[in-house]
Amino acid sequence: MGFGDYPKEYNPAVHGPYDPARYYGKPDTPFGQVKLNELGSWFGRRNKTPSAFMGACSRAWWRWQHKYVQPKRVGMAPFFQLLVGSMAFFYVINYGKIKHHRNYKYH
Amino acid sequence: MLSRIALRSVAGRQSATTALVARGSATDAVGERDEKNFPRPVRGEPGKVRLGFVPEEWFQFFHSKTGVTGPYTFGVGLATYLCSKEIYVMEHEYYTGLSIFVMVYYATTRFGPKIAQWLDKEVDAVENNWNEGRVENVKFLEQSIEEEKAAQWRAQGQELLIEAKKENVLLQLEAAYRERLMSAYTEVKRRLDYQLEKSNMERRIAQKHMVEWIVANVMKAITPDQEKQTLDRCIADLSALAAKK
Repeated sequence: MGFGDYPKEYNPAVHGPYDPARYYGKPDTPFGQVKLNELGSWFGRRNKTPSAFMGACSRAWWRWQHKYVQPKRVGMAPFFQLLVGSMAFFYVINYGKIKHHRNYKYH
Repeated sequence: MLSRIALRSVAGRQSATTALVARGSATDAVGERDEKNFPRPVRGEPGKVRLGFVPEEWFQFFHSKTGVTGPYTFGVGLATYLCSKEIYVMEHEYYTGLSIFVMVYYATTRFGPKIAQWLDKEVDAVENNWNEGRVENVKFLEQSIEEEKAAQWRAQGQELLIEAKKENVLLQLEAAYRERLMSAYTEVKRRLDYQLEKSNMERRIAQKHMVEWIVANVMKAITPDQEKQTLDRCIADLSALAAKK
């Protein structure tokens, strides 16, 4: 599977039009329903190659797109979400510099 | 000879590769469409959010454990902790952010609804524009179907009309047949009448001639003696009659 290809498991004859937000492989237990003692084996079953990680990120991105950006009449929510997310991201990457602006020595 | 062998080998190779390709594509396209587990994706409604950006699911996640105020309490508590321990540092950019927040809030509440209305109108316009051709086509096809049905109805009317015309022709044929029957009857009657008249006439003429011939012969047969006798006899009768008186 190279760049820009469909996932190996995707079969147009069976699955119909390609949905980029969907995982076409064999479904495992959803993360929200995993018991704590099964968590290790659940992570052990995960595919941890870079391409699989990129695929997961891509599906998450498209799920967000389909839910908040692509509907017909969207409000400001996706823009605010992007704004808040980027604010948090830049706050975290700049935290080392911001730390020096603390006003109090003892808390 | 050699060229023919070369050709044959090429043909064999080609058929082998095409067979392989065909088999490969067949395995690729095989499988039945699974509509139940993989339905065609539809464009949904936008996800619900609270406070402008926090997904509704986050509040639902808290709701079963902490009630309605739980997520807000959690948020405020976390913010208080971060600020109090100065993990979140309120440097100069924080106040810039506050003022920007105020401006964004004002702009959103003040102009948001109007802009949303205008954008919705634009969305509808774009969608209508894209759908227009299809809708027009459907309308045209429906109209064509209507016209076709009307044409079929008219064709049925034509059948009725032709039926009536055929009946009319049959009636005319019947009338002509009866007319001819009538004329044949009258012609025959005329000829018979003529024959009757002719035989009557012949009999009358024959009778007349016979009478004339008999009278003539009788007159010829009367002699002057007979005439005189008759006259005498008449006078005698007259005198007898007179004597009787």
